[in-house]
Amino acid sequence: MRVIKFCLFACLLFISASLYAHVGSPGVIYQGKAGPYTIMVNVTPPDVIPGTANTSIYIDNQQVYHVYLQPVYWYAGDKGSPKADEALPVKGTPGQYQGLVWLMQSGVASMRVTVDGPLGKGSAIIPVMAVSTAQRTMPASLDWSLAALGLLLVVLMITIIGASVSDGVATPGNTTKASAIKKYIAMAVAALILFAILYGGSAWWNSWSSNYRRFMYKPPLAHTSILNDGKQLVLQLHIDTAWLRKNNWPVSYIVPDHGKLMHLFLVREKTDDVFAHLHPERTDSAGYQVALPELPAGRYLVFADIVRWNGFMETISDTVTIPNKAGAQVPPIVGGALNSDPDDTYVISNSINDLKNPLTGRVSLICGKPGTEMKLEDGSTAFWQHTANTSFEAGKIYPLTFAIRAPSGKPAKLQPYMGMMGHAVILKYDGSVYVHLHPVGTYSMASQEIIQNRIKGSGKIPPLPEPSAFRDSIDHLITRIKAMSENERNAYLNAGMKGMAMPGMDGMVTFPYAFPSPGNYRIWIQTKRDGKILNSAFDAVVE
Amino acid sequence: MDGTIHINQAINAETKQKAATIDHAIQPYVYASVFSSLCIIVGLIWDISWHTSIGRDGLLAPPHDVIYLGAIFSGLFSSYQILRTTFFGSVAEKQASVKFWGIFYGPLGAMFCVWGAIAMLTSAPFDDWWHNTYGLDVVILSPPHTLLALGMMMIQFGAMIAVLSSSHAAKSCSGTMHKALFIIASGLLMTTLYCLFSEYLNKARSHSAVCYIVGAILFPLFLIAVSRASKIKWAATGTAAVYMFVLLMMLWVLPIFHATPRLGPVLNHFDHYQPFHFPLLLVIPALAIDIVFFSLENKKPFVKVTLAALLFLWLFFIVQWSFGGFLQTSPYARNWFFGSSAWYFGANPDWPYRYAFHPQRIDTGFDLVKGMMIAAVFAIIAGSLGNKWGGWMKRVQR
Repeated sequence: MRVIKFCLFACLLFISASLYAHVGSPGVIYQGKAGPYTIMVNVTPPDVIPGTANTSIYIDNQQVYHVYLQPVYWYAGDKGSPKADEALPVKGTPGQYQGLVWLMQSGVASMRVTVDGPLGKGSAIIPVMAVSTAQRTMPASLDWSLAALGLLLVVLMITIIGASVSDGVATPGNTTKASAIKKYIAMAVAALILFAILYGGSAWWNSWSSNYRRFMYKPPLAHTSILNDGKQLVLQLHIDTAWLRKNNWPVSYIVPDHGKLMHLFLVREKTDDVFAHLHPERTDSAGYQVALPELPAGRYLVFADIVRWNGFMETISDTVTIPNKAGAQVPPIVGGALNSDPDDTYVISNSINDLKNPLTGRVSLICGKPGTEMKLEDGSTAFWQHTANTSFEAGKIYPLTFAIRAPSGKPAKLQPYMGMMGHAVILKYDGSVYVHLHPVGTYSMASQEIIQNRIKGSGKIPPLPEPSAFRDSIDHLITRIKAMSENERNAYLNAGMKGMAMPGMDGMVTFPYAFPSPGNYRIWIQTKRDGKILNSAFDAVVE
Repeated sequence: MDGTIHINQAINAETKQKAATIDHAIQPYVYASVFSSLCIIVGLIWDISWHTSIGRDGLLAPPHDVIYLGAIFSGLFSSYQILRTTFFGSVAEKQASVKFWGIFYGPLGAMFCVWGAIAMLTSAPFDDWWHNTYGLDVVILSPPHTLLALGMMMIQFGAMIAVLSSSHAAKSCSGTMHKALFIIASGLLMTTLYCLFSEYLNKARSHSAVCYIVGAILFPLFLIAVSRASKIKWAATGTAAVYMFVLLMMLWVLPIFHATPRLGPVLNHFDHYQPFHFPLLLVIPALAIDIVFFSLENKKPFVKVTLAALLFLWLFFIVQWSFGGFLQTSPYARNWFFGSSAWYFGANPDWPYRYAFHPQRIDTGFDLVKGMMIAAVFAIIAGSLGNKWGGWMKRVQR
């Protein structure tokens, strides 16, 4: 019993937040087409690899015969996929199917959902990042049961060994003094040996646990700092190269998502009132910088989303303190002044702590709530189509639908913003949940495209390109995208995303999402109208 | 005092007479434990093949069911034997049993089997938790699997002890059934030992010294113990023959059945079970042990053990080096009979060393000589320990 307890205490067991591809929001949601069928898929990836991903599929009012699930690994390609499993209909919920998919290797995986129905077969690829993020504790009931059984096994084995040298080898009915002495000596020796074996077993368990922790997913570390270029403040983010080397993470292999190498979000800590969506440029293999807009001073949460060349999407988290520009002693950057990215944007809304006087300071909008309309900076409005004064249920998938209306009151004619009809960021007030999502779901479009290209390719493992050549080719691509006109850029991005930037004539934009845990959340919605980025913000209560 | 303690003063000469003439028919738990031993090894090899071919399993996957059937069968029959003897057994039966914890009476073999069954059943929830905590099955050796393996081997060893004590009790009728059961039980345990150490004993290792070092520890230890424990002339050879028979049956039967990989990535595609290994040709070196033991019956034990162990190692090396080379490299071994083309679904079928020896797994020259010298020393030590172990088994009465 002691040994089991000793092992458990020594294991430093804890549950860590799922920190890859967003923060604290490991579920993957897909909204889109599988051939002729409209589907929504909610994948709950395992937090320990190898493990099983629980997958729910919702079919939109269409008759289907079968739904199949199949894992596709970037490493092995399409030919390396095992036979598909059928997802079974959920009783009492027409149109919902459920199934388990086994993910056996850490890294980039994906789920192929195939729908078979009267309109034929159609399939969709949903990227899933398969990584171990959790280490569990043993439930007390199991702990004590195993301890009791372990004790029984030890005592019984000592008894057996004692009997083996005494009664066991004595003729029926007799035993000798000598054998009785032997018995006790053997039992004592057995107890010592068993203790040594248990001690060894405990050390083995600890080493296993420590090895598991060593290979658990850890997001890259980065150092964020504020400099100035003579006319404005500049944010510099440097990915920790020592960490990269330690984790065998080749930093050069980052690819653009929505035409940007990095999507960096800043949210003022504890008040959540200031929100910025920026796109830093790469300065060297691990360095990024971006000109800061006129953000109020304060300490900010930093979330930087990147995608690796194999489709692995992850979020780098940090904090940074932005000083008052006037009078701030900020070191200068090396090089000339930076130009802002035209897709950079920010908004200042009311603080989560100051609901009574929401217009304090430079507030440009008051956050909306479900079922309420809010005024945007350009006079248009955003309305969250949800029953007013209601909360949300954690773990349940919701279509978060927002109606954007022009100042005239008519539905706004939305334009693609970086190839999508909308971008959203959801942040739990305490910062423990962060997710960047789109109308198609919570996955990375770049990851999906990479896996789709891998499926089309050969079954052979693709060779790793030469780092500097790869980095140069990506930098060249980014320069080319930046040089495009907006229409050309949208056409280019839309081609890569297979028509995901659907026309927004009705002014509606929907983000499918399941809040992972109860609490208060702030949601920023970003759309584009008349060439201007429209930011809106809403608060939600999840129970 | 003659050194004898009369543990029950009430036992008189008449009672002792009864103790000597109790029913010597083989008890059901003896058959049950041998059958359990068979279930365990069949389930284990099926499980290895399942993981090689299908991959996906669960607590109640069919091979696991067969293994657990062995645990339950053995545990129930052995517990029944202990409880029946304790609460309903005659005085004579109790005198022919081991008394433990002040209450219980039971045969030593049944105690081993009960221990094994408890260990195996304990490993099930432990393993389930382990999978949820550290990931689904990816390795053979983990703490819960080790507990399971210990439980399995303890049941199989309990079966051997059950047969031996039954055989020793039935002095006048130690006939064919006892001999057959003992050889079968020994062969089944040896098959399990091979499976657990197969990583070092498989065909890809047959040209490296480690194969012979591991073999020199395992087989002389076990086969000399078996040979010494039994009164059977060809005990070691028979045990090796049972080992080979079980592996050959599993090698030939499993691929008849359909199986496709159910886990990814799948690098090797097939539609039938990928069988476990072709057995080591152990009957040939095992012959040496039997011949040495019965032809040098009057020699000192150390002489017999040393000669038997070294002869075993020499023959094992000669036979397995060439036969292992054939299995690993020859196109004639890539068929249902030898099963050399069996390949894990997740392994690259175009791996250059699938049908060749990896340079790091070939020992030649001094390395080989040094390895074989080490193997020879281990063989003598293991043989001596086996001789002691067999001597103890020979004396088991209850």
